[in-house]
Amino acid sequence: MTSAEIILTGLLISALRSATPLLLALLGECLTQRVGRINLGIEGQMLVGAVAGYATVAASGNPWMGLVGGALAGAALSSVYAWLTVVAQANQFASGLAVWMLGFGLSAYFGSQFVGVRIEGFEPGAAGLTPTVVMALVLVPLTALWLYGTREGLKWRAVGESEANARAMGIVPWRIVVSGIVVGGLFSGLGGAALSIDTTRTWAEGMTAGRGLVAVGLVIVARWNPWLCLPAALLFGVAEALSFRLQAADSAVSAHLLHMLPYLASLLVFVITCVRLRHHPQGGGAPAGLRAVFER
Amino acid sequence: MSPAAVAAPGPFVHTLRALLLFGAMASGFFLLIGHHPGAIFIEIANASAGSGYAIGETLLRATPILLCALATLVPARLGLISVGAEGQLYLGAICGTGVMLAWTGPQGLLLPSVLLGGMVGGSMWAMVPALLRTAAGVNETISTLMLNYVAALAVTWLVYGPWKNPQSQGWPATVEFPGAARLANLADSRAHAGLLLALGLAALLYFLLDRTRWGLELDVLRSNPRLEHVTGRRIAPQVLLTMGIGGMLAGLAGIAEASAVQGRLQSDLSQGAGLSGFLVAWLAGNRVGRTVWMSLLIGGLLASGDGLQMNARVPSSVTLVVQGLLFVAVLGAGARWLPDRRKPRD
Repeated sequence: MTSAEIILTGLLISALRSATPLLLALLGECLTQRVGRINLGIEGQMLVGAVAGYATVAASGNPWMGLVGGALAGAALSSVYAWLTVVAQANQFASGLAVWMLGFGLSAYFGSQFVGVRIEGFEPGAAGLTPTVVMALVLVPLTALWLYGTREGLKWRAVGESEANARAMGIVPWRIVVSGIVVGGLFSGLGGAALSIDTTRTWAEGMTAGRGLVAVGLVIVARWNPWLCLPAALLFGVAEALSFRLQAADSAVSAHLLHMLPYLASLLVFVITCVRLRHHPQGGGAPAGLRAVFER
Repeated sequence: MSPAAVAAPGPFVHTLRALLLFGAMASGFFLLIGHHPGAIFIEIANASAGSGYAIGETLLRATPILLCALATLVPARLGLISVGAEGQLYLGAICGTGVMLAWTGPQGLLLPSVLLGGMVGGSMWAMVPALLRTAAGVNETISTLMLNYVAALAVTWLVYGPWKNPQSQGWPATVEFPGAARLANLADSRAHAGLLLALGLAALLYFLLDRTRWGLELDVLRSNPRLEHVTGRRIAPQVLLTMGIGGMLAGLAGIAEASAVQGRLQSDLSQGAGLSGFLVAWLAGNRVGRTVWMSLLIGGLLASGDGLQMNARVPSSVTLVVQGLLFVAVLGAGARWLPDRRKPRD
């Protein structure tokens, strides 16, 4: 094969597979930010999801059980963030980082026994797509439908815009904020499990490598719209798939430099979004309640 | 009823609640993993302050955390939430190592030049999010978090590639720092003169931030950014200045780790100091004095990991969980059990 063939053959499939864990986390963070919270702890939630999912598969041999286990672990850790920001009303950025740190520690502790352990994952189906890829793709329209097409979704958006107005409408904001955070935890835990069980089929300490933090930025790039989460996640996926393929094609550039690509690409689109939103009168689709966090 | 009418708990009550909460959560975790909480707490205390060696290890671990906390604190005094100390630490280590590798001048100037290189490197890296913030309004929290991963990969690239020591067989690291490029050790511990530098800089920052007109200006601009237009004092130069100083401090942490502790540049030289430093600064309310004490406390906790592993047969990663629980407890200690009655504090 020529190097161009190595780079391009099946690039979209590889990109989709790379993007899947991030897409799941992105959809979760999208819902969380829609109710007016920025959760950096999503990185830790992905990590505990990854280790819990991996441990479940190692014990049960069933990757579906692993996804359930990972999602539940992510939701459990996100409830710590919910408690910090809703009940204790602590700063959102600091709370998220504390949850990240806790999740990193918990996953490192419980994961040490799974380093080097092999598991049986999903068999790739048609066109090399595994069930997690399909699941993530199906969740995009479902999330959008939930936000824009249901009464409950409308309430969530109302709370994200203004808790005071929502309360005046007879909504109990804190219940919805907690739901938004925990559903975000469920999704990010699922994303972490998809990463360890399906994408890499291995567990390693800190293996999410910033995907959760990238997701927080990419939600803003996607303008808090679940539909746009798909291209945003694909951008990261394409950059990551390209970095591996260029490496396989004996690129003159070192593999370690190529691995910077997904982060640089994400940062670039984040910067472009910030520039375009800067003087946007309505904040470019940002939930109004969220702007208070950013504009200090 | 106005929010002010509901008395907030005083600092003493708040600390007590945080300690109780932490004790309960940590004990719960130890019981969960099948250990007696009391025994582990005693072991942590022993392994962090029970002997001369233990104290040396605590000071060693506290040094980069203190510098990274100060690196977070300076921009925070202007209201910036920078989480970039980790990346600035890596760039400091890279640039300082670069100076060492390229050095042809007199040996006596080597160490100061290496340290200066580290500080300049950290500052330059901090300029990226600072300029993005001033020129394009890019949120510095998110840009610094993404840049941290780029910086870590830059170290990996250098130590596997262009700067790899050919004599080190498979081990990815640069050549060792010569004696003239190393910070001196304190007594016969592994702690090094970087700690004294960090403490000196902390004292200087205390003076600058709490006793000068500049510190007051930062406080005023933080409390009300709109005053920029009223008073004619522009924020942008202060963003660059505070981020630059922060980067300098974190860069110093990085080059000190490489030259004095590891003796060479290799990946994973930060051991999470950037994130620990961020939370230390936050929990210290961005006050310099409290930051010093909190850094020693967290340094001791993390340093006790090896002792725990040897004496209590508990994996050292337990200290990471305990660190996370401590931060969660302090942030959560402000909990009031009526979530719907108040507005968010931030």
